[in-house]
Amino acid sequence: MSDDPRRILITGANGTLGHATALYFLERDPACLVFLGVRERRDRAQVLVTEFPGRAFLCPLETMSAESWAAAMNQIGPLSVLINNAGCHDDALLANMTQAQWSGVLDVNLNAVFLGCQAALQPMMRLRGGRIVNIASLSALHPPAGQTNYAAAKAGVLALTQSLAKETARMGITVNAVCPGHIEGALPTDWSEEQIKAVRRATPMRRFARPDEIAAVVFFLASAEASYMTGTSLKLDGGLV
Amino acid sequence: MASELMLEIDAGEIADDKPLFGPEGIGLDSVDALQLVVAIEKHFKLKIGDQTQAREILHSVDSIAKAIEEAGLA
Repeated sequence: MSDDPRRILITGANGTLGHATALYFLERDPACLVFLGVRERRDRAQVLVTEFPGRAFLCPLETMSAESWAAAMNQIGPLSVLINNAGCHDDALLANMTQAQWSGVLDVNLNAVFLGCQAALQPMMRLRGGRIVNIASLSALHPPAGQTNYAAAKAGVLALTQSLAKETARMGITVNAVCPGHIEGALPTDWSEEQIKAVRRATPMRRFARPDEIAAVVFFLASAEASYMTGTSLKLDGGLV
Repeated sequence: MASELMLEIDAGEIADDKPLFGPEGIGLDSVDALQLVVAIEKHFKLKIGDQTQAREILHSVDSIAKAIEEAGLA
């Protein structure tokens, strides 16, 4: 890889995990430049830009648009690390799910990952190295009722990760995924206090993940130390099996 | 090419007219082809636009050299 500062793009950087991951990189790799992929909501990302001048940058990005990805790559220059973090839920039982709910969730969680990987590949191939980390979900491995769309999309992300890892291994580009369980600050907004307690009780660690605990694993997968790891998905779930 | 693609053969073992792909070739695969396209663009500024063109140009070392020469990039 080049000696230039690592250029890192995190999609969904205004969300709980995206923001925590950006902060983790900015605090632990003083030389890196972090590009915060954002759409309309950018308040939290903007704070990082203010706190880390010259190192954190807003990067307007519609993850479902190839043109938007191309514009982002032009802004960023040689990209070292892509973190496909942007995602969304639209839960419903399949019997009641509309096609729009199905397609919308597949677009944001899976098709956007395809577009991101495709956009990042050329600059990484020129650098003869790179790191792609895809944020999947425990739902990909243990799909709950009401998430056929989300679970299918995230399982697709794992398959994409494994397949792409084989395509890029010889080029020094690693592709890995993480499957987080529930994360503090990113619990479903429609959960009652009772539901939250029940899920916490069912988790062997009796707590949800802190966002920085997931960010730490993403940071490792994006590091030089993870050079022989590719096509892997790591489950981060407090002991749920 | 041998070092760019991390082939475990010496460059001298690749005859200029030997097919790079297929059973009679030196055994490159589709990932190697992708790497070759990027390497040729990087080193010689020759952009290979589509798959048909790529198939013709990447046939052998000779055909790659010819394409670079014809584009005035040698």
